[in-house]
Amino acid sequence: MQQNDPLFHLEGLTVEIDGKPLLRDVSFDVSAGEMLCVIGESGAGKSTLLKALQGFLPATCRRLAFSPANIRVAGAVPAITGLPQSRWVMQDPLAALNPKLTLGTSIGESLHAQKLSAQACKSAVLEALSEVELGPDFYTRLPGQVSLGQAQRACLARALIARPKLIFFDEPLSALDALVQKKIARQMDALRHKTQTAFIVVTHDLSFAAAYADRILVLRQGQVEAYQSRDAFFDQPDSAYATELIGAARSLGTLPPARATA
Amino acid sequence: MTLADIQSQSSQKPSPLLRFSRRVLMGTGFGALALCFGFWATPYGPAEADFLNRLSPPTATHWFGTDHLGRDIGTRLLFGAFWSLGLSFVISLAGLLVGTLIGLVAGATGRLPDMVLMRITDSFFAFPELIAAVTFAGLFGPSTINLVIALSLVSWMKFTRLSRSLAKSIAEQDFVIQARLNGLPAGLILLRHILPNVIPSLLVLWTSSWSRTILAVSGLSFLGFGVQPPTAEWGAMLLDGKPYMQTAPHLMIFPGLAVLISVLVINLTGDRIRDLLAKTK
Repeated sequence: MQQNDPLFHLEGLTVEIDGKPLLRDVSFDVSAGEMLCVIGESGAGKSTLLKALQGFLPATCRRLAFSPANIRVAGAVPAITGLPQSRWVMQDPLAALNPKLTLGTSIGESLHAQKLSAQACKSAVLEALSEVELGPDFYTRLPGQVSLGQAQRACLARALIARPKLIFFDEPLSALDALVQKKIARQMDALRHKTQTAFIVVTHDLSFAAAYADRILVLRQGQVEAYQSRDAFFDQPDSAYATELIGAARSLGTLPPARATA
Repeated sequence: MTLADIQSQSSQKPSPLLRFSRRVLMGTGFGALALCFGFWATPYGPAEADFLNRLSPPTATHWFGTDHLGRDIGTRLLFGAFWSLGLSFVISLAGLLVGTLIGLVAGATGRLPDMVLMRITDSFFAFPELIAAVTFAGLFGPSTINLVIALSLVSWMKFTRLSRSLAKSIAEQDFVIQARLNGLPAGLILLRHILPNVIPSLLVLWTSSWSRTILAVSGLSFLGFGVQPPTAEWGAMLLDGKPYMQTAPHLMIFPGLAVLISVLVINLTGDRIRDLLAKTK
């Protein structure tokens, strides 16, 4: 399953703030169309990882390569705001949408750098809306007039419309209720396969990871505990901590009790 | 999606805030209309003296009585509304615009402009409003224009503080981060994302600023530092009526009531808007 040239390659990412290390030596690869789930308890550095990669925190690495944006660096991670050719979907869709702007305008902002005409931008937004199964009437709605799930879909549309090669998700489902979670998780999966976009999803929902991830990265106190393919992870986790996590999820019932061994 | 669709959507389910804003607009329009009707209907001028009919209590021909020069108090109240409400409207609006501009610049640009602008704001805050206005009038002479300048100078700091702190907190919100990630220039972020979310709170502050300024304008004019008699400003009318407080109290009662009612109406409107805003959040 290892492809020869991954879309996104990260080696030895370290984030230090005031001499306090938040992330130490984090490495992973993501290929096109692949989903990497980043798992860990709160404070493990999951969100720090996303912020560092988006240029909001000073970070260093041994090697960082992201071919669609022609990024190939070693040492300091470039401090530009926003990794080119990537988008970021946040946890709380209502916080991520300006309450005073229509969904159409918010989604269209994702195309700001492309300098489209208003008409082209609008038709692109309508297309993106239909991609996430929202009708054209959502173009003029305000975030206060839609449900949480619809708002998160609009955020998804905002990410997809720019046709990025990589989308970061910061707990995209945790603010939603179970039925909506399931719907949007399926939709994310379908869109990923359709567009061959790579997803890096921060979550603490092991059942989501078990259902959709290709690879799993477990962080604990800023360090990588386990980095495995999904099946290997759930069959034979690399670390005692991961075993404990899976055991806890099984006894809580979010994961099926045991996996049939092939 | 056409404009008509949007309008039909909003008319289906108007929020309480929207309904109230409409009512406020209607009320304002009605008030302005009544004022215009008053100007048109009154047979008297604001400075038209009738010495044979001095200090008359309210009668059928002079609904609010006449003052010590026989001028019709009702007519003078109408013109006074123009001065008292209008001057304070202009002053507080100037404060709103200047203060918001400074606050947004301080809150959204670098640390150095923030520090410099906020220290200037703090030093202006150190002057008590009325004392500053009295000092200004003392230095440059009491007149309407000096009153406007003096009160404008001390009316903007509240807006600066509020808009700066709001701009700072909004700038950290997720939707602004998204806009930055999407490469929007700082000016557009300020205009499109920060300003619209600051305006509602500023409007509430502005209503209270307007009513306070009415009191300041009338108060300073009453003390003789502002609008000068014979101009029919409510505070100046109170000053005119002071010698006759015992014998013809209506000279002071009616201008006093006019100040009281307008300040009350503006304050209650502001409170209601604040409550509705809090509910929608």
